[in-house]
Amino acid sequence: MKKITLGAFEELVLLATGVLQDNAYGVTIKQELEDQLNKKISLGALYAALQRLEEKGWVSSRVGGITEKQGGRRKQYFDITKDGIMTLNEVRNMRNELFNRLPQAKIDWLKS
Amino acid sequence: MKARNKNADSPRLAKWLLKSFSSYDFVSTALWDLDELFQINVETLGVRKARYIYLKEVLSIIIHLFFKGKSQYSINKFAMFKHNILISIRNFKRFKTTFFINIIGLAISMSVGILMILFLSEIYSFDDFHARKNDIYRVSTVRVQGSSGEESYLTTASLYIADQLNSQVAGIESVLMMRSEMHSTDLKTEERAISAEGFRASDTFFDIFSFKLKSGNPATALTHPNGIVLTESTALKLFSDNDPIGQSVSFDISPNSSTYMVTGVVEDPPKNSHMKFDFLLSLGNAEGQMENHEAEDANSPSATGEYYVYVLLDERARPEAVELSMANIISDHNARLDHPVRHYLQPMNSFVTSDLYSNLIGPRFPQQRVYLMIGLTLLILISACFNYSNLSLASALKRSKEVGVRKVSGADSSNVFLQFLIEAILLSFLAFFMGLGLFFFIRPEFLRIQNIALQGADMFQLNVELIHIAYFLLFTIILGILAGLLPASFFAKLTAKELIKDVSKTRFFPGLNLRRIMIVFQIAIAISLVTASVLVYNQYRFSLNFDLGYETENIINVPVKSEYIDLLENKYAGISEVVQISKSSLVIGIGGDGLSGGMTQVEDKKPNLTLIGYIDQSFLDLHEFALVAGSTFMNPLMDGGNPDYIIVNEGLVKELDLGTPDEAVGKTIGLNGSQVNILGVVKDFIEIGLSKKLFKSFAFIYPDHNDQFSILSLKFQGSNLPLFIKKLEKEYKTIDPVHPFEFRFYSDQIENNYRQQKLTYILVTGLAFLAISISMLGLLGMAVITAESKTKEISIRKVLGARLANLVLLLSRSYLISMIIAGLFAIPLTLYIVDSVVLNEFMYRDKIGWEIFSGLLVVLIVGILTVSWQILSVALQNPVDHLKTE
Repeated sequence: MKKITLGAFEELVLLATGVLQDNAYGVTIKQELEDQLNKKISLGALYAALQRLEEKGWVSSRVGGITEKQGGRRKQYFDITKDGIMTLNEVRNMRNELFNRLPQAKIDWLKS
Repeated sequence: MKARNKNADSPRLAKWLLKSFSSYDFVSTALWDLDELFQINVETLGVRKARYIYLKEVLSIIIHLFFKGKSQYSINKFAMFKHNILISIRNFKRFKTTFFINIIGLAISMSVGILMILFLSEIYSFDDFHARKNDIYRVSTVRVQGSSGEESYLTTASLYIADQLNSQVAGIESVLMMRSEMHSTDLKTEERAISAEGFRASDTFFDIFSFKLKSGNPATALTHPNGIVLTESTALKLFSDNDPIGQSVSFDISPNSSTYMVTGVVEDPPKNSHMKFDFLLSLGNAEGQMENHEAEDANSPSATGEYYVYVLLDERARPEAVELSMANIISDHNARLDHPVRHYLQPMNSFVTSDLYSNLIGPRFPQQRVYLMIGLTLLILISACFNYSNLSLASALKRSKEVGVRKVSGADSSNVFLQFLIEAILLSFLAFFMGLGLFFFIRPEFLRIQNIALQGADMFQLNVELIHIAYFLLFTIILGILAGLLPASFFAKLTAKELIKDVSKTRFFPGLNLRRIMIVFQIAIAISLVTASVLVYNQYRFSLNFDLGYETENIINVPVKSEYIDLLENKYAGISEVVQISKSSLVIGIGGDGLSGGMTQVEDKKPNLTLIGYIDQSFLDLHEFALVAGSTFMNPLMDGGNPDYIIVNEGLVKELDLGTPDEAVGKTIGLNGSQVNILGVVKDFIEIGLSKKLFKSFAFIYPDHNDQFSILSLKFQGSNLPLFIKKLEKEYKTIDPVHPFEFRFYSDQIENNYRQQKLTYILVTGLAFLAISISMLGLLGMAVITAESKTKEISIRKVLGARLANLVLLLSRSYLISMIIAGLFAIPLTLYIVDSVVLNEFMYRDKIGWEIFSGLLVVLIVGILTVSWQILSVALQNPVDHLKTE
């Protein structure tokens, strides 16, 4: 499979999407990330990231059912795809590999 | 679920912003998220913070998705526009009639708009070629003259103040004085003579103004007392291709024809110069002039009638300060007067447009008339916009299905709004090109409206330049937006359900009343303009036919040099068509050159300003003046001279308290110092035209020698006018081969005097015609659409037995009501405006009768014709055809 880069932010968004399972949409993803990272996320950046992820095939979107809540408007949900999970895994593995090769001396810093 | 906070409304501006950038799919999603966030924020942070955050998020979306790289959530703007334009074009093709009506209406109004844009930019760019335009001012004077206490504004000032400005007042860089040098004689060399007009100017002329000297030295050209600077075309006429510098020219002012040496050639004053001249003579500075004058009065601060005084202010000097200094300087002098002399600094950019001033130096187009033209143009443009809106709204029926389908398939209101707006703008552009063509058609006609004192449209050029293209673009877009605003918002607001389900209901929207108002407004404009032009025309005709107190028909006036006048009189007496001849110094009734004035008084009582005309013994008879007492001058050759006799008018008799005309005959009064006897009294007559105030007293004098005569008046009969003129010319040339032969029909000269009114009349009529065309186009369009939409109704009515007359009445009823309402508004308003603004110039005015209804009548007739044509065509159709398909 072609190696397409996954940016740091994109990775987080992808993760959050996965975590939220069926309930991943704009607001929920945003709140999840903000809770985890303690940092404000703008909707604009979020949508941009989601769009890039969708283009790369790691996320798919669907239109949710019509509820009375918003007077007939549709809501777009995002789901992580199989490719998405695999990419996440790959990236995680790569990172772990590198991390595991850190000299013991550096790792010891974690204990202090 | 917490109850929703009723007051929390998501910010509409932000929403709108989002919508205008996003495709409709995405907008739903984003809005959902945004609103949910909003609700949460309202509960946790309060409404204001929530709204602020909302806006921020919207901006972030816009920035991220649309400016940081391509995004499929955003719209490809070009594709959107292309799509819109395609739909617009399809609509134009589908509804051809409406399209044509709209485009013609807009085109007509745009051609006027184009004219106005060019016109305005030209009038405000007068004198732009002067480098220091912003610092150039003219000293103007306000005096109270005469016994009436009226203020007169002069563009001239006194030698005294010019001198003071030069030496005593701070902030003045340069002072220029000019005096007009308008001879009735010519500028000539040994071989040629041409008539020319010019000024005497002090040597600072080229310091202040930026007229370019083609040859000669700007610093010294006007310093020689006998120097003369010619304009290029004058030099060409006199010297052909030879170098004029150093050559001599002269005026033939007897007795000593002074010769002048050409010291420079200046380029012709461009069309947008407020000052026109053929030559310039030198005038010393103020001091020198003041020394020259013998009469002491000429140096007084009150002698403000002769010199034009221009000043160049230092860049940082303030005109108000200078004005204050001037006032201080003459305050002593003013203290001794009943009415003080006041001076103002007139900035250069108001030279051409100011209304107030008399004795002007060049062309002028008063500000009032500019405003009038702007106002009328705006009316026409608004009229056309209303047209468009009306037609669009009326055709709602036809378009409704289209709009409905779009909405159902997901178009948002803003989408529809944009669609209609773009359609309007596109139409506007198409109309612009058509209008441009129309403009080039109108332009020569407009420029041809001229009159002698360069107060007509011929002072303009109306060329299209690059900067104008920018104005045009802006103009077109704005017009398109204005026109399309109403229909666009109307359609955008309709919901899909309404459109598809029950189309007929759309007519009962509040929008309908708005339509009614617009129709009424349009019709009102048409009525006003027609009425106004009829009224103005009436006044114009009235002025022409007004009893002047003398005859003007069948009289030709020929200007002649005084040395030839007797000879020519003899020659002309021999021509068969000539019935009577007289000599005079002036042509009565048109003002201008030839008027002299003097002071008459009885014994030591207060002297009276009197107009004076020099005439011979036949003058009064030829022009059929009504002599109410005494007799006319006698022929000096036959009955002895006319020593010290004058003939006066009734006005003078009254002014000097001489009793009845009969009593006045034989009395002695003083005229300019000498004593004269009153020989006869004529009935009052119009000296200088109906639109100016009358001078009350007038005196006719028989001069001792022919120097005073310059006009031969010929009363003629006969039908072959061209032959007659040829004879006159032939005789003229045998006597005076140098000067060109000129002649004017007296009645034409009088008519020309009302050029102001004629110009106003032409303008108003022209615009009225346009306004009516537009209104009628509008009505036509409305009629077409209504008729089409009511086809079924009419058919059913016919089937049910309605008579033709009833149908017509039924359908036209609403139009009649509109017209009557429009008339009720328009007529009184027009009457008021025309009365107070336009006709106020006149002293004698026509009564206003039933002409005020002329506008209404015209509109009614045209309107009814238009409407009934459509209605009849529908009403006469076979109802079966329409009901077959159902």
